[in-house]
Amino acid sequence: MKLSKLVNKCQLEKIVFCTDCEIENGYCGDLMSDVMAHAEAECIWITIQAHKNSIAVALIKDIKSIVFTNNVTVEKEVIEKAEEEKINLLRTNKDSFTVCGEIYGLMEAETAKD
Amino acid sequence: MSANYSKEKLTLVNELIYEIKVKEAMSKKVISSRENVTFREIQLKLKENKISGIPILDKEKNIIGIVSIDDVITAFDKGYVDSKITDYMTRDVITIPQNLSVVSAINRLDKFKVGRLPVTQSLDSKKIVGIITLSDILNRLLVVVQSIAEKVEDKEVRNTQISHDLIKSIEKNPLRFEVKGDDFNSAGSVASIIKKYFRNLGISKEIIRRIAIVCYEAEMNICLHSLGGSIAVEVNNNNAIIYAHDKGPGIPDIELALTPGFTTASEKIRALGFGAGMGLPNIRHYADKFEIKSSLKTGTELKAIINLGVKNEVK
Repeated sequence: MKLSKLVNKCQLEKIVFCTDCEIENGYCGDLMSDVMAHAEAECIWITIQAHKNSIAVALIKDIKSIVFTNNVTVEKEVIEKAEEEKINLLRTNKDSFTVCGEIYGLMEAETAKD
Repeated sequence: MSANYSKEKLTLVNELIYEIKVKEAMSKKVISSRENVTFREIQLKLKENKISGIPILDKEKNIIGIVSIDDVITAFDKGYVDSKITDYMTRDVITIPQNLSVVSAINRLDKFKVGRLPVTQSLDSKKIVGIITLSDILNRLLVVVQSIAEKVEDKEVRNTQISHDLIKSIEKNPLRFEVKGDDFNSAGSVASIIKKYFRNLGISKEIIRRIAIVCYEAEMNICLHSLGGSIAVEVNNNNAIIYAHDKGPGIPDIELALTPGFTTASEKIRALGFGAGMGLPNIRHYADKFEIKSSLKTGTELKAIINLGVKNEVK
């Protein structure tokens, strides 16, 4: 599913949007090492950790899109780093559980259609 | 052949027939005729050129009719083969504008059961610029598929072409980075740099990711738990060797530290998502070989080896 479609359907705020990539799976986690160990490349990552290290983890795991939940504050330097590294940053005031549910539902529906 | 033919299997072809335009696939050389000829003359022309139909054009190259081999046979049968075609030719010709994609051509060929479509300059023009048959479309499709296959092959070659010069240079001068203790903001950057560096070597993505994960976790360990240290990366005999040293305070019980979930991180560090007790287990998991030594006097030394999977031996 195209990221832009997810963004529209889940009403995510676009903080950085550089590439409308194809999303095939997702991971939800706030522990860096856990994401490091289990997230798949090119997935959408749902987290409350909006600091520079999240960008580093995304870079290392080839994650192209991060959704920050609970409306967390995203520092300017995090945004700059994401722009530089071409990582999409999205934000929502919903919590991780809700957003994961929404995204999961959309992706299931998409696979069912195929 | 219709557009939906084996849709599940032919997704690339399906995509391509939408992308390829009629004008890219058509034959530009059109064997045509004026209308003041007999069926016998048409028959000769068909035979000469080994074709099965001829569009009939006026002097401005506008299409006014078409005569197919079936029409000629009928003319023989009914005995008007020496008559002029004017009164008998099909005037209602199925054509196709040159800017449509070939999927429309396929549909039209299928729907009207014709073997060829004269190609018009545009939707509202009758001027003929080419002619298209199913075999023109198949030929074009093969050319495009071939060029895509070549690109993929190229990419593969590039992916497996290891830069031996770069590997030699890294062998001579191992990469070495200082890592400060307690500096969250720059933490993670060493791993990013190392990842970029290895990407230039042309090693497979999977291996690069493993190297980066090991570097990241080692870097975070130094940053979160030590007084500072360094990370060095060496390439030797087809292996990346990652050394992480710190100045202390050392790990009292290494076995415990290697237990997934065990952590000594403070509440503050854990709130940031670090200190999950997965650092060392992750390193051990992603490295092909892993050694750790620690002393409460001199600090911790970690060595992780990852095989680069380079087939031809690097000397």
